[in-house]
Amino acid sequence: MIISKNVTKYFGGFQVLKDISFEIGKGEIVGFLGQNGAGKTTLMRILTSYLPATSGSVIVADNDVNKNSLAIRRKIGYLPETPPLYSDMTTLDYLRFAAQLKDVPPKRQHVQIDKVLAECNLKDVQNKIIATLSKGYKQRVGIAQAIINDPEVLILDEPTSGLDPVQIIQVRNLIKSLEYKRTVILSTHILTEIQQIAQRVLIIKSGEIIIDETLENLLRDAGSDLEDVFLKLHSVKAEELL
Amino acid sequence: MNKILAIAKKELKTYFSSPIAYIVLIITISIFNIFFFMIIDQNREATLRDVFKAMEFLFIFIIPLLTMKVFAEEKFTGTMEFLMTTPTSNTAIVLGKYLGSLIFFTLIVVLTLSYYFVIEFFGQPDRLAIFVGYAGLWLEGALFIAIGMLASSLTKNQIIAAMSSYVTLFLLYFSRSFIKYFSGIAETLIRYIGTWSHAENFFNGLITTADLVYYLSGIIICIILTRVSIENRLWR
Repeated sequence: MIISKNVTKYFGGFQVLKDISFEIGKGEIVGFLGQNGAGKTTLMRILTSYLPATSGSVIVADNDVNKNSLAIRRKIGYLPETPPLYSDMTTLDYLRFAAQLKDVPPKRQHVQIDKVLAECNLKDVQNKIIATLSKGYKQRVGIAQAIINDPEVLILDEPTSGLDPVQIIQVRNLIKSLEYKRTVILSTHILTEIQQIAQRVLIIKSGEIIIDETLENLLRDAGSDLEDVFLKLHSVKAEELL
Repeated sequence: MNKILAIAKKELKTYFSSPIAYIVLIITISIFNIFFFMIIDQNREATLRDVFKAMEFLFIFIIPLLTMKVFAEEKFTGTMEFLMTTPTSNTAIVLGKYLGSLIFFTLIVVLTLSYYFVIEFFGQPDRLAIFVGYAGLWLEGALFIAIGMLASSLTKNQIIAAMSSYVTLFLLYFSRSFIKYFSGIAETLIRYIGTWSHAENFFNGLITTADLVYYLSGIIICIILTRVSIENRLWR
């Protein structure tokens, strides 16, 4: 479903991604794990064709991101780190706008909007102005726009960042309920999130993939929980640098 | 086409969801009304030529206020990332945004049509000249909006977008003041680029191919440059 080959990205003279290669199959749920600034967001933006890679190639749903960006954008749903919401619109108007832009056929728009409102538990706030919603609701509206076109690939950048514990559980449960049939990529620096949602983990450090392993194998090999693995990996690297 | 209309509709809703749209409309129309009555009272002529000139001048101040947020706000709030990761072409995004602003501006122009009815009631105006004058005024505004939209696409900051629009529009409008310092090709070029000579023809009831080409090519160039600007991923 997604193939990344030797992707590098420079911002000016600064290298953000170094030779990133991986493959993600259909229906996989993959977590990008890394500290803030590791390059997770940049990698996700490249996968959505929002940013071009400096070199390397990315194929999403059989389309090259550089050559057929519009076709890819029809097949993905993307939630950026900050939910991209028009605060002066109502939830319903915003989802209607998203459905129009995401090629949902006019006759299906009503059904599709109803469906995501129910899936994301937004019925109560469908007529409320987005600016007046809580952060948890805003995040759910962001997820609702990402799935409005029933995407084959769902890319979620730090979907629980900045939420309180109750909101985190709500959003996490929502993501779990969306996994069926979709390829899901989510980035986070919260380890428990990966443990609860993902099947496979890509640990990114300073723009490099240092671990690409199923969660099961990773925990079995390490013989401990993901937090220990993560800390060990980072301290080992630090020692190497010293 | 549907997406262009969807974006234009959203833009219009955005204008009317904030008090700024109503304030701009009320202040603009009030100022236009004052100028209209002052000019008509002084000239005692059944023509809108001088009213159009006053309105053209005021557009320099009003239009950057309308266009400053078109792209700058989307970039600042992060919704640009949403727009550009939907299967919507950059051309449709630019045209939708332009159309939204143009419709709002057209509403301002339509509200001033009452001036025609006032002078029609009291005198015998040259209807065709007034119609041509309105067409010129609308084209001038359409060009100013395209310039303002381009400025907005170059920055995340609405103030910078408005200020750069003001500077550009001032230079275009007041080019006649500094044309005397130039000669030869530079003089010809400034004369052509400046808005005053083109608008004046329309206000006098004269439509020339050169003026139409000036406005339409200016609008198209700005739209193309805006598309290039949002496509240029260096700023992302």
